[in-house]
Amino acid sequence: MKKIFDFIDLNAEIQWVIVIILIILITATLTFQIWKKVKPSNLVDEMMLRTKSWWGMCFIFLFASLVHPIVTYLGLAFLSFFTLREIYTLLKLRDSDRTVLLACYLSIPFQYYFAFQGWYTMFLIFIPVFLFIIIPFLLVLSGDTTDIISSMCILPTSLMLGVFGISHLGLLISFPEMNTGNISGKALLLFLIFITEANDIMQFICGKIFGKHKILPNVSPNKTWEGFIGGVICSMIIGYFMGFLTPLETLPLILISACIAILGFMGDAIISAVKRDFGVKDMSDVIPGHGGYLDRIDSLSTTSSPFFHLIYFLLLA
Amino acid sequence: MKKLILTLIYTVFWRSFNKIIIGLKYHNHKSLRKKKQFILIANHNSHMDTMAIMSAMPSKYIHRVHPIAASDFFGGTKLNKFLMKYLVNAILIPRKKANSDKDIDPIEVISKLLNKGRSVILYPEGSRGTPGVMSNFKKGIGYLIQKHPEIDVIPVYLDGIYKTLPKGTSIILPYNCNIIFGKKIDFHSLEIDDIVLKSEESIQKLIKRE
Repeated sequence: MKKIFDFIDLNAEIQWVIVIILIILITATLTFQIWKKVKPSNLVDEMMLRTKSWWGMCFIFLFASLVHPIVTYLGLAFLSFFTLREIYTLLKLRDSDRTVLLACYLSIPFQYYFAFQGWYTMFLIFIPVFLFIIIPFLLVLSGDTTDIISSMCILPTSLMLGVFGISHLGLLISFPEMNTGNISGKALLLFLIFITEANDIMQFICGKIFGKHKILPNVSPNKTWEGFIGGVICSMIIGYFMGFLTPLETLPLILISACIAILGFMGDAIISAVKRDFGVKDMSDVIPGHGGYLDRIDSLSTTSSPFFHLIYFLLLA
Repeated sequence: MKKLILTLIYTVFWRSFNKIIIGLKYHNHKSLRKKKQFILIANHNSHMDTMAIMSAMPSKYIHRVHPIAASDFFGGTKLNKFLMKYLVNAILIPRKKANSDKDIDPIEVISKLLNKGRSVILYPEGSRGTPGVMSNFKKGIGYLIQKHPEIDVIPVYLDGIYKTLPKGTSIILPYNCNIIFGKKIDFHSLEIDDIVLKSEESIQKLIKRE
């Protein structure tokens, strides 16, 4: 593959992705502008707002992921932090949980430090093993046993949702074996995020156009079988064409894209159910048109960890 | 010098800390820039309330804005008094009415400040009270506004800030919260009870708009 811009110090593949993202954004913006002129409706206005937010998110993301690894880690750590803050704002926790909440927040720098150093084992066991023991014990130390079981379950789970999954994005670019030869962690990271977000969008579009049969009527009325299957198929096609980012063969490439699509749907459904329990429509109103941080990264938090291990299994094992 | 210290503490440090770490959102705080003198009234549940309001003040005249604090709570030691004076820019008043000539009359103290052209931050509930619940306003606010009807009274609603540092705890934790500045209150009647009622209503209105 040839570089598009010779003078910029980036892989040819990554330059291509940036150009593709820009083309998509420009096309979407123009389409909705024209659509609005021809036939104004609330849906178009919402789409335009969403596209506008996509511009912002893409720029922040590309800047953070390409400038310097340290910027990437800081960006991801803050993303985790904002996500946790969003969850804890809506959770009704006990006053005696406050010290433990501080410990939860403090686990973020540790987790990302392990990712930064590429300490694979420590990174993997820190939250699911170590903190699953330490957090309940810290709760015990606070001395208040009323409703302690719910705090014991909620706090580690919140870390899994907000920190553990997302931090795998960081591990991709620091893991030594993923950055040797023709494998580039950065390209894999871009592939993962591209497919996850494309799947979100395609599920949304297919659901809007073909949607008839509800898949989870009690949790999220917007999700339909048509949207889900359409999303999976579209993701497989997009994954096939974006395959230049990965060193994978065609068959595993398509299978991995399908896995990302299915896992992304699961993450989306999990957060939908959580929101339903909280009784809110969006986690917060930070990103206009999308809702909160967790509304946007819900699918990423479930796709990134399995994606990492699938790649590990296929390429390195 | 005092202006510089206060600007550094509030406009630089607390504002960025509140925005990035705490997750505090400022609504409509720019409306204060054009005003020269005002009385801010807010609901009160936490020590963070003062930090949130002070950090929203324009740096141009932050040294002329005084939070009003209770001397029985904050004026215990000399160090406390010093910190309150220089780091918070607060004025300490006794919480009780003056019974004899020797006692300091709290209304008189604030009144003098207003005559000097200063602005004040008041918590008409009198204390932090139950978390998340707004209690009835004390009558002091009525006496004060009756004396100075020409000064703009601006309601401020602090939404969820109490969660970051509730009464009786000592760690500040991040929570998404809001600080909302309202429009100045038009008092139709200057009866004490009407003033108190009207100011309570104006904050209730800010709550409902959310």
